[in-house]
Amino acid sequence: MVVQASNRQETRKLFALPRFLTAEHPFPWLLPATAMMVIFGIYPLAYAIWLSLHKRNVVTRANVFDPAYNWFKVLHDERVWNALGNTLLYTVIALTIQLVLGLLIALLLDSDRKGYSILRALMTLPLVVPPAVTAMMFLLMLDGSFGVLSRSLYALNLLSPAKPILANSSTALAGVLLADIWQWTPFMVLIMMAGLRSLPKEPFEAAAIDGATAIQAFFRLTLPLMSRVIAIAVLIRGIDLFRIFDYVKVMTDSGPGTATETLTSYSGRIYFTGEFTYASTIALLTLIIVIVVSTIFMKLFRVKL
Amino acid sequence: MSFKEYDKKTYLADTARAFANRKISKREFLKKAGLAGLGFSAFGAGMLGNQRVFRGDLSTSSAYAGQAEDLTKWLKDVGSKFKGQKIRYTSEATPPTVVLNQIKKEFTDPTGIEVEIEIVPLEQVLAKALQDVQGQLGSYDLYYLDQSWSATFANDVVDPIELYKSKKDLAMPGFDWDDFSKPLMNGLAMYNGKCTGIPFDIPIFITMYRQDILDKHGIKPPSTVDEFTAAVKAITAAEKGNGMYGTGLQAKSGHYSLECDWTQAIWNEGGSIFTKDKKFSGNDEAGIRGLKWYQEMLKNAPPQSTAANWDGQFEMMAAGQCALVTSWDEFFPGLDADDSKVKGLWQPLKPVTGKALRKVADAGFGEIPNYGHQGGSTLSLSKYAKNPDAAWIFMQWACSKEIMTRCTLTGGFAPMRLSSFADPRVKEKARVGAGTTRHLDVVKWTIDNAMASEPDMPLWAGFSTNELPIELGKLVTGQDYNGDAKKCMDNVAKLIDAKVKEAGL
Repeated sequence: MVVQASNRQETRKLFALPRFLTAEHPFPWLLPATAMMVIFGIYPLAYAIWLSLHKRNVVTRANVFDPAYNWFKVLHDERVWNALGNTLLYTVIALTIQLVLGLLIALLLDSDRKGYSILRALMTLPLVVPPAVTAMMFLLMLDGSFGVLSRSLYALNLLSPAKPILANSSTALAGVLLADIWQWTPFMVLIMMAGLRSLPKEPFEAAAIDGATAIQAFFRLTLPLMSRVIAIAVLIRGIDLFRIFDYVKVMTDSGPGTATETLTSYSGRIYFTGEFTYASTIALLTLIIVIVVSTIFMKLFRVKL
Repeated sequence: MSFKEYDKKTYLADTARAFANRKISKREFLKKAGLAGLGFSAFGAGMLGNQRVFRGDLSTSSAYAGQAEDLTKWLKDVGSKFKGQKIRYTSEATPPTVVLNQIKKEFTDPTGIEVEIEIVPLEQVLAKALQDVQGQLGSYDLYYLDQSWSATFANDVVDPIELYKSKKDLAMPGFDWDDFSKPLMNGLAMYNGKCTGIPFDIPIFITMYRQDILDKHGIKPPSTVDEFTAAVKAITAAEKGNGMYGTGLQAKSGHYSLECDWTQAIWNEGGSIFTKDKKFSGNDEAGIRGLKWYQEMLKNAPPQSTAANWDGQFEMMAAGQCALVTSWDEFFPGLDADDSKVKGLWQPLKPVTGKALRKVADAGFGEIPNYGHQGGSTLSLSKYAKNPDAAWIFMQWACSKEIMTRCTLTGGFAPMRLSSFADPRVKEKARVGAGTTRHLDVVKWTIDNAMASEPDMPLWAGFSTNELPIELGKLVTGQDYNGDAKKCMDNVAKLIDAKVKEAGL
């Protein structure tokens, strides 16, 4: 009996899996997620880097290794700088308005009174509309001939029918921003609301006893206590805004001229004409900017994700 | 952004646009938007997109007339060998594609070959085809190739005339290559002596005018650019207060439609895009004259012209916002549709003529300057097709006399075949009404006598959708160049000449 058991143990040892493949080791558990990341994250990124280091001949379709070519071209391409400017302008304006509006609406809705929960639920409705559909809605509402928003702006003498908002290079970006702000302000409201609801009550009670006004409490307590939440909201939304594509593509297709061209829409346009290597370089440039700015922001505001 | 994500986003936009244009019902719109919202991109959502709006009449019985017995028999005999194979092709929502998609059962039933047609906006067709040929993937057996791309894909497609001769067992009896309009074969399908596909679609510029408005002001239909210009200005002056302008344009910056308008403007002034020594010539004297004329026309067009592509231009015509237009003939069936508020009011005319045309020999890259800009396409067989034989049989069926004629009867668009133009059923529909063919005499004249073609060069797909419409857009919307046409064209010349030189053309 003892001999048989010993043999079984020997056999088990012989055919046993290496330890790193057993359930005791983290490797098998990490494998699916790692594989997904490699296939859908690392490989495309590596491929984009490979492309950016090659010069493409659109006629012969040959990619020749020339690591400086696309990066040199990017730095000397006026449209890249114009697109970067538009992207930054868009991001800053949208982020500022969404943040301020989001915080104000959250303060208004931060109540347990009857009906407020319905209002809070209604606030989330724009978020479930696909961005391209939102863009189409605003495209129609801003149409120079029959758009309800355009007509309202004409009536208020804020716009002239001779210069439709989306066909005019000085106002087109504002038109696109309207759609973004309508759709994404509720996202800010939700985050701010979650932050407000998690604030401790004691400091506010103490402030009230000391005779602080609501405005004083807001600036001295609410804002400082909310700073981490605000920083995270700015970071998440800022990264998203920097990659803006949907609204621009549907509403203006980067126009008039290049007045609303962003880095992603420029990269997309180049890509769809077959200049894959240059398009990848612009996409990588966008990624680099996002990583650098986010890292600086996280260091400055001590954000830990 | 991933390709599928891009597809999904444009699919949603196109779905919403189709709903806004009342091409789909609210139920259908909600269904499609819901599908996309649920992450249906894996389905290849772009296949349901539709940018070029179908203006024909699918309800007409001619779409479902049933095909001749001998054609069905040939399909059974030849096609059934490939039963179970699936062929795929991607196309813009061009009228013949829309009709074929409706009647493809007449092909799939006798052959047992499955046909999947992806209908997506033009720019996506180009991107998908480019990706396919880049990796030689064979994802698509057939390509819809716009005339401006024929040079780009010339080495990636099979010459159908050669194939017809070499594969006798698959050749459709009586296919009759001579029945295809010669200018179309030469202008659309031929590149450097090779046939790149079978002519499939021929939208072409003709002049159209509102008879009631011209009659009201005692203006006779124009035959020259000068008469057209005078009429446009007179109507704007008289009718602007009523919301009507002399003309309407497809001047959307960054869009191919603006490039098409510009091309016609410079050809009319005796210019060309390239000279015979392959230099960009939009900045020469004739080119600047043409562009200045276009800027003048913009002052006499609804302000939203600078945000309008061909769909927007059609909407202006259909909404009664303009009275004279030189643009795509395929607008006509839509203008005469039963629910059109301008039904029967628009009349077709031969395209207005301008100054003496620049000779073909003096233009570069096979460009043909003339008064009727064409935007035709071919149906082409991919060299990398996974099911080339099945696709070839489908291609012959789709471009056969009977099917092409039925497509015209349903869509009201110009046919490729001479026999279709002469078909009594097509002639009989030459009256005001849905799917009208009453503009086709003018179209045929234009194809035979005044058809213009853009350059045949591999870089043209990029120039016509990027450099040219972007810089023109900056000019016409006042973003840059301060209205200076010469400055704009000099910059375009710099950009284009550098790329041509770099590509070694």
